[in-house]
Amino acid sequence: MGVFDGMLQGVQVAFSFEGILFIFIGVLLGTIIGMLPGLGPITAIGVMIPISYGMDPSIALVMMAGVYYGAVFGGSTSSILLNAPGIAGTVATSFDGYPMAQQGKAGKALAIAAISSFVGGTIGVIFLMAFAPLLAKVAIVFGPAEYFILMLLALTAITSLSDGSMVKALIAGVLGFMVATVGMDGQTGTARFTFGNINLLNGIEFLVIALGLFALAEVWFLIINRKNKAFGVDDKIGSLKLTKQDFKEMTGPMSRQSVLGFLLGVLPGAGATIASFIGYTTEKKVSKKPEEFGKGSVAGLTGPETANNAATSGAFVPLLSLGIPGSGTTAVLLGALLVMGVNPGPLLVQDQPTIFWGVIASMYIGNIFLLILNLPLIPYIAKILKIPRPMLISLVIVFCLIGIYSLSFNTFDLYLLLLFGLIGYLMKVLNFPAAPFILAFILGGMMEQSLRKAMTISNGSLSIFVTKPLTLSLVVVTFLVLILPPIIRAVMNRKVA
Amino acid sequence: MYQMRNKVSAIVLFLFSILYLILTIKLPKYELVPVDADVVPLVLGITLLTLSIMLFFIKSTEADEEKQSPIIPEKKEDFIMILVVAILIFLYIFLLERLGFVLTTILFLFVTTLSLGYKKHISNVIVSIVVPTVFYIVFDMLLDISLPSGILPF
Repeated sequence: MGVFDGMLQGVQVAFSFEGILFIFIGVLLGTIIGMLPGLGPITAIGVMIPISYGMDPSIALVMMAGVYYGAVFGGSTSSILLNAPGIAGTVATSFDGYPMAQQGKAGKALAIAAISSFVGGTIGVIFLMAFAPLLAKVAIVFGPAEYFILMLLALTAITSLSDGSMVKALIAGVLGFMVATVGMDGQTGTARFTFGNINLLNGIEFLVIALGLFALAEVWFLIINRKNKAFGVDDKIGSLKLTKQDFKEMTGPMSRQSVLGFLLGVLPGAGATIASFIGYTTEKKVSKKPEEFGKGSVAGLTGPETANNAATSGAFVPLLSLGIPGSGTTAVLLGALLVMGVNPGPLLVQDQPTIFWGVIASMYIGNIFLLILNLPLIPYIAKILKIPRPMLISLVIVFCLIGIYSLSFNTFDLYLLLLFGLIGYLMKVLNFPAAPFILAFILGGMMEQSLRKAMTISNGSLSIFVTKPLTLSLVVVTFLVLILPPIIRAVMNRKVA
Repeated sequence: MYQMRNKVSAIVLFLFSILYLILTIKLPKYELVPVDADVVPLVLGITLLTLSIMLFFIKSTEADEEKQSPIIPEKKEDFIMILVVAILIFLYIFLLERLGFVLTTILFLFVTTLSLGYKKHISNVIVSIVVPTVFYIVFDMLLDISLPSGILPF
């Protein structure tokens, strides 16, 4: 089946009444969640899982994908208005967006962000439509050995690309994997690390980890920052109009960063955050007016905003065609799919084309909705930032608790949620990144199973990982990803010193 | 300060990996599978052990770079607030199936919002009552998820 036939099927899902309704709900929620500093797409997707439990999986995925790219789209609003990025992927947006807002041009900054996001997101989807089926075709021959190495590569990439200490990122990854080993072993039926507790026999629900480590951990910091300034009642956004000159300055960054951002999004471990930073620095390098950067430059705002949205589309390539997420958020999306009984991977295009193409088609509509939500309607939506922090905090806690409870109807999971919330707090205070933890937790079980399948095929010999050219090269790449960044950093430091 | 924190977390992680390894070794064995249930945990335990030793001894350059980030509670007051909310969550979980969803959530929302310093009591009461009620109705009628009704008759 070609791209054209596929898209026809996808359009049928996306343009159905249900499809359009849930795309809208998804992107609206994403915009709002992305806007509220401290709350990210993981929280939103997590809370939605129980709601979407009885839904058609293609509709549910369309909605959750909408939350994800909607959050990256909407995160720019608080970066610009409050200098407090709504999500990590929009940190670089505040570099030039906030100065622009301070000059009384908040409306212009919001308009630039919305248009760049739209262009980045839409071009990203076009690439996604072209590349994901191709990758799925290649990946169809992958066996358990290839999958094991690919997942290891994704984990290694996310640890070596996380800012801060690589040792800490690795520790976070190992800990996440360890939590994944709790429960009954799939092959031998051995109960591992359950301490005789029957609630742990089936392992720990991934939603408990996602909401604990991300949502609740974010709640503690909302509590600490609860007195920070909110978006005031009198703050004026100003005109949303852009001049011809502005558009002229935006075309270059938009065309460059939508390609670069998409590629970075496809790579495991990179994602929206890294894409936006690289988008900012590359635009500064090629700019004729680098001195304007940081003081409200149009290109400095367009670059990261295009890149992060293109990266979001890119992140769907490995998720849909390999079933391997490259970031914390896509890991949670994968977890959500598994809960609904969908197994993303190279067979998804063939077996469940409505899901595969439905998501892709929905992203076109979603981006148009987002443009409408974030351009003419943004002054009204931004009022959400006025919700009093104490009320917001207690509501978020209740959403998390109900989310978990309605999935398992078991208070044991709620206590676990509280425990992981506190662990998440400690990790944040001690600078251990949470993304490798959640990725390792979700991939852990699959990695162990594919490793053991591979070893069964090879009769217990590790040579299966080095005798085939494909696996060997994947092993080499993984190794390079692990050792190169520290070496590069060391060399750079020496140069500076 | 950071150096100290890293050392303490390294020691805790070291002890944790030892505990994990002991539990792994105690797992029952099967002869016929090429990779038994204890192999992956064994690798994980040893990796964590090594990493915790590295964390302890690394003269981390990033310790100097990592500036005092604003997210760490500087005031005792913030720390106590987190503790209070954690205890409130604990009470919520404890009471959820005993008092029922609606009552527990009304109490939790009101008390938590109040203790976080929200002064407009009337809007607090309204939100605390409306949100759980709407949730209960939506979950019960639209999603067919029955939340615990508890001591209320409906």
